Amino acid sequence: MLSKRGIALFGARALVGAVGLVIVVAGVGAAAVVPWPTLEKAPPSVLVSPTPSEQQRVCPGPLLTLAEDSTQAQAASSVGSAEAVYATRSVASGAGWTDPEVSPLTAPDNAKGDIDGGPLLLRVPVEAGADAAPLVSGSQSETVASETLGGLAIAACSEAASDSWLVGGSTDIGRTSLVLLSNPTTVTATVDLTVFGETGQVDAPGSTGILVQSGSQRIVSLAGLAPNLRSPVVHVQSRGGQVTANLQQSIVRGIAPGGVDVFGASSGPGRTQTIAGLLITAEAPEAAPTEAGGLADGVPSVRVLVPGDLPATVEVGVTSADGSAPGTSVQIEVQPGLTTEVPLTGLAPGMYSAALVSDQPIVAAAQSSSAGAAGRDFAWFTASDTLDEEFLVSVASGPVPTLVLVNTGGSAATYTVSPRSGEPATVDVAEGRTATLLLTAGGSYVVSGGSSTVASVTYAGDGLMASFPLSQAGPLAAPIRVYSH
Amino acid sequence: MHARVTAILVARNGAKHLERTLEALSRQTRQPDVVITVDCGSSDKTADLLAAFGPTHIISAGADLTFGQAIATAARILPPPTSDGEMLWLLAQDSAPEPGALAALLGELEIAPSVAVAGPKVMDWHAGDYIHNFGQSMTPGGSTVTLVESELDQGQHDGMGDVLAVSAGGMLVRHTVWDQLGGFDPALPSADDALDFCVRVRMAGYRVSGVASARIATAGDGVAGTSGSSRGRARRKRLRAMRAAQLHRRLVYAPAWTIPVHWLALVPLALLRSIGQLLRKEPGAILGEFSAAFAAAFSGIRVSAARRRFAATRKLGWGSIASLRVSSAEVRRRHALKREASVTGVRGDRPDIRFLSGGGAWTVLAAAIAGVVLLAPLLGARTLTGGGLLPLSDSLAELWGSVGYGWRDIGLGFVGAADPFAAVLAVLGSLTFWAPSFSLVLLYFLALPLAALGAWLAASRLTERASLRAVAAVLWILAPTFLSAIAAGRPAAILVHLLLPWLFFAGFAAARSWSAAGSAALLFAAIVACAPSLTPALLAAWLITVLVSGRSVMRFIGIPLPALALAAPLILDQGLRGTWLALLADPGVPVPGPSVPGWQLLLGFPSGELGGWAPLLEMLGLPGVHASVLVPVLLIPLAVLGGLSLFLHGARGAAFSLLAALLGLATAVAAGSLQLSSIGAQTPSIWPGAGLSLYWLGLVGAVVFALRGLRRFAVAPAVTAVVALIIVVAPLVAALPLGTSVVREGIDRTQPAFVSAEAQTDARVGTLQIVPQPDGGILATIVRGPGTTLNAQSTLSSTDRTLSGKERELADLAGNLASRSGLDTAAGLADFGIRFVLLRPAAVTPAGPGSEAPVTPAAAETAGRTMTALDGNAALSPVGDTAFGRLWRDETVVGAGPNGTIPSHPGGPLGVISLLVAAVVIGATVLLSIPTGAGPEAVRQASRDAIRETARARAKQKAKEKKRTARTPGRRKSTPRTAETVTPTAPTDAAASGSATPDAGDAVNTADTVNTADTVNTADTTGHPGTTETATLQEEEHIAQ
Repeated sequence: MLSKRGIALFGARALVGAVGLVIVVAGVGAAAVVPWPTLEKAPPSVLVSPTPSEQQRVCPGPLLTLAEDSTQAQAASSVGSAEAVYATRSVASGAGWTDPEVSPLTAPDNAKGDIDGGPLLLRVPVEAGADAAPLVSGSQSETVASETLGGLAIAACSEAASDSWLVGGSTDIGRTSLVLLSNPTTVTATVDLTVFGETGQVDAPGSTGILVQSGSQRIVSLAGLAPNLRSPVVHVQSRGGQVTANLQQSIVRGIAPGGVDVFGASSGPGRTQTIAGLLITAEAPEAAPTEAGGLADGVPSVRVLVPGDLPATVEVGVTSADGSAPGTSVQIEVQPGLTTEVPLTGLAPGMYSAALVSDQPIVAAAQSSSAGAAGRDFAWFTASDTLDEEFLVSVASGPVPTLVLVNTGGSAATYTVSPRSGEPATVDVAEGRTATLLLTAGGSYVVSGGSSTVASVTYAGDGLMASFPLSQAGPLAAPIRVYSH
Repeated sequence: MHARVTAILVARNGAKHLERTLEALSRQTRQPDVVITVDCGSSDKTADLLAAFGPTHIISAGADLTFGQAIATAARILPPPTSDGEMLWLLAQDSAPEPGALAALLGELEIAPSVAVAGPKVMDWHAGDYIHNFGQSMTPGGSTVTLVESELDQGQHDGMGDVLAVSAGGMLVRHTVWDQLGGFDPALPSADDALDFCVRVRMAGYRVSGVASARIATAGDGVAGTSGSSRGRARRKRLRAMRAAQLHRRLVYAPAWTIPVHWLALVPLALLRSIGQLLRKEPGAILGEFSAAFAAAFSGIRVSAARRRFAATRKLGWGSIASLRVSSAEVRRRHALKREASVTGVRGDRPDIRFLSGGGAWTVLAAAIAGVVLLAPLLGARTLTGGGLLPLSDSLAELWGSVGYGWRDIGLGFVGAADPFAAVLAVLGSLTFWAPSFSLVLLYFLALPLAALGAWLAASRLTERASLRAVAAVLWILAPTFLSAIAAGRPAAILVHLLLPWLFFAGFAAARSWSAAGSAALLFAAIVACAPSLTPALLAAWLITVLVSGRSVMRFIGIPLPALALAAPLILDQGLRGTWLALLADPGVPVPGPSVPGWQLLLGFPSGELGGWAPLLEMLGLPGVHASVLVPVLLIPLAVLGGLSLFLHGARGAAFSLLAALLGLATAVAAGSLQLSSIGAQTPSIWPGAGLSLYWLGLVGAVVFALRGLRRFAVAPAVTAVVALIIVVAPLVAALPLGTSVVREGIDRTQPAFVSAEAQTDARVGTLQIVPQPDGGILATIVRGPGTTLNAQSTLSSTDRTLSGKERELADLAGNLASRSGLDTAAGLADFGIRFVLLRPAAVTPAGPGSEAPVTPAAAETAGRTMTALDGNAALSPVGDTAFGRLWRDETVVGAGPNGTIPSHPGGPLGVISLLVAAVVIGATVLLSIPTGAGPEAVRQASRDAIRETARARAKQKAKEKKRTARTPGRRKSTPRTAETVTPTAPTDAAASGSATPDAGDAVNTADTVNTADTVNTADTTGHPGTTETATLQEEEHIAQ
């Protein structure tokens, strides 16, 4: 039996307990539910703009052919010589057009290198006191018409890199693909080639540990590494020195040459890829004709590779440069590690640009071909990186050079294209749109006015076709944030 | 010859005891012929009482008169003595003589003319059958010895006759001798006045006699002799007076030629004795020790006056009293006997702990086996790596060198304060001095048993029941935050979890024991050093304790001192920088972790993901089971028990527990939102796990209270809570086997072998480590020699939000090294003494326990870019890929460069001073914390207090018995309380009401506790008087021996 005192005690205890419990629950609830503000202090860092360094560009040199002598199937020899156009423009001292220092690289793999000349190294030393690297550009062209090689091949003189993707080429029957590795640096480069094909990554003996001596060019036949690939993609990785990678592809149809092209690295893996200047010369059929195991020659197409591990959904949008012809858009699933060719059908002849948007990083390039009275030719149009406000164009000789500007910036831009000598021209480009401008072969231009631009130069003649993308100093010299602790 | 006795009664605010004294005086069988009362400036009704008594003379004097001076004043108004028969009877307000006292004393003087001084047997005021003191002597060294003290009077000392000295109160002295010797030495105001006087009496050729049949009760008011109060202040004053008196006597008695030696030894002796006082748990005596030494050193006039007076009357040599001295060995023997009697165990098990019989050993053993099984993958490891684990310095010199203010060899190095955690690591590393890094492995393997041990002991403060202690230990080692800290490789957090129960254990006893208070201070310092984020919560708990501690406040007030002494240089540095909050940053390597929502912290998971259940269930793919439902449901039993504790018996203790839990949770939440340190681009928050350890401590405490309150119904809820918790923490327990732990067996280095080899010949060889950051930047730091160590880490560096000029220079060099650049990096490399450049794998942001976000594309690109740039750098030649990343070297760099050498004496005077202060404070605390037992003074005090308690208890007992006889037995309702008395399971109550003698020394704790408990029981219950009486009697036996 509880006495009154007992009940009172019990009641008091219960009350105090309940009050305590309420306090605890309130405290706990406040701790758990209330979104407390966080105090974060940004760590200290310095944005270091690297000291400008000497600019180097490598022009890949003359077109090559493999020896017909079967005993020396891997020996290459040059056919004719390439003609290069280059210019440099100082950033610091105003409008100073000069020429870069030009020196040849040795090409020990080229049996006729002494006669035809080899790849060229363009060097622009840093001006004293300059806080930005000088602008430099260069391109080379060569037109051949021999029994096995015929067509127009124009390539940009480009910067060496340690990691580059060559999207294009083929080692199918009648096609020859040569990988040109030029090392302009002072250190020997050890190059590993990883070849992807339509069936996946190719296990290619001899593709790793290729030594490229300082100041020299090595020529590697892709067929020797990965024969019978319709659509290879080559990943070039170098350690030690860096290399400029180019790929020369030539086609022989029966006994007639079907064209030749030399092109450089496409832009690295990214979720968006832009190809400025895709030239379509013939009305493509609605349904892409196929050959055994792949697309027929002459069908414009985009080659896509997902280097990662996850499949990607890629949307390929092709728009006309002048807005006159309807574009096309196609969405495809791309399996990782397998190169995929996407035919571009239903396009009227004209200048186009292509934009690829993917949910996984991809590499891409497009090809197109042209047939004329003089013969056939084809060209690779590689995806290229965006350019900053000012960049140079050096136009190698060739038929009807056309500058294609894709404004990838957020607003409309008025580009001013100033030749090395002569009156500047202006062209307005709305955001996301493409514009073209005819250039003079052999000239050099400085293009300014855009904020984010993808650009290329395309050539089109009778049965001749070529293109090269415009690039600027690589990301290696971009400012970098450095944390100290 | 007719004797004529003049009683001189000195009173100073003594109304409380005066009445009894006066009454006793008037009851004397032999009445004093003259009574002179000296009122020393009393403000109470002393004067009235004295006047009412009607003495022959009443003298009103100043308050600052000593006993000796008061007697001398009274003696002056008497006519000069004409015969040996004129006596002075020295009495104080609290000297209540028994009726025959004066007659007995007088008899002694009348029988033997050679006796000049007779002293009574001084009894205790309250417990009349206890001797307060009887007879005094000296050791050969001159220390005062009270021959009989605090003993039950069974007539065992009644044979005592000739003594060296007697105490002042109740002393009967021949007036002629008093005048001849000039009375008491004015330089001895309270202590040793009578001893000194009696010595001079002896040396003047007279005798001093103790008269057992004359009994006088004294209350120890401090009018005659020193105060017997146990209050801290009075006690400190007494100790000082005793030391001062001893030093004064030494200078007076010593041969003239030895005085310089004694004089020079004064201060060094004070220093040595201070250490002794610490060991004796008398920290309050230290100040007095020095002030006595300095007072003695500058008392030349008083000493020379005393020496002259002594020389004038001295007739005999020291040899004449040699036989009356007590040998030091005898003193020690007596002290030891007394101590033994009052101490049942200081070092050994306390009777209420019962570690072995209570199952504590089994709990710890089980935890040890569990620990070894769970950490089996790490068996045989010599170092550990991963998370916040790094090796320690290889040599003890380096390890201790990283303590204090000086050169912090991290990054470019700077002069600044070390984290207090470095001191903890130095102690830890010294335990395994042959391989300091191994101590961390040991910490891992001993973590579980040590946590179980700590929790078990802490629980022993709360409950007697062995099963509940075991439950507490299990709940404590299964704390999600503890297991998370183990899995995440956070040694500091592990240490916090191990030390927190010890802090509670020591803090609980600190109210009664200096030793425990010292231990608590050290533990506080260690915990705060390991987790500065706990400081606010612990200080809040400390403040509450100080406010409620009452008389034992001195024991608590100094607890944060060692922590403060350790952290002082750091506080200064951060204060100068103006970043006070940064003091809370976690020491050691900043470990980025995911941001954890508050409700996960509430459930006890400091790194989120519900302790691994979320990813585990996702992996298992069980349908219908959601981790965010399962885990909270399993934790409900614990929460319910915690809440229930507020409604059961012991709710007050439970409320304190839950308050601690709330403090801990608040700390955890606050810690999670403070991102103070940085490593590269990442800004890790403070580890909330330390706060969660406190949270868990409070929770487990509340659960123990609840289970205790549930009594025999506790089994089911306890088992449910433990089993549910085991399920909850299963993924954390199995973190190592599951691979979700970041801790791995370490190789013996933190740098590539190539660099380690180079470091053998050049300990300052520089390596530039570059770590690509998730935002695309790089973290560039210089590591000197064989690599960075845990003890070299500094929060001054990790919380720094500014960059020095040199750091900018290095950043510029690193930025250019990581880029295609035209900079001549060779010069920069030589300048900083960088012989190697190591590109480490890109940093990743952790997403949860064991899972990490993939390397961001920006980081991958930066890694590629940096590798390309370094490959292309003509100054560097590649060495190759190593276990730590890709390595390059620059052969041309020789030496550490102008930026890589450590300046000599980097700490300067500040370093030396701060180190000294810390060493003194910590050293004193360590001395204090060593349970050496109590000094003689504490034992004396404890005995007196025990006697007083006994007397008081007896008085109450009598009062109750009277009451009870008046009551009918049927109305007794003491059943629950009686049960409590039999099994005293309410230690909080005991502690709150207990420690009636808080100032009693350590050695007598146990005796105190028992004694106090008895008192409490007696006071609280109307239960069995018989048992209580027996206990009290046993206690008396102890003390009386």
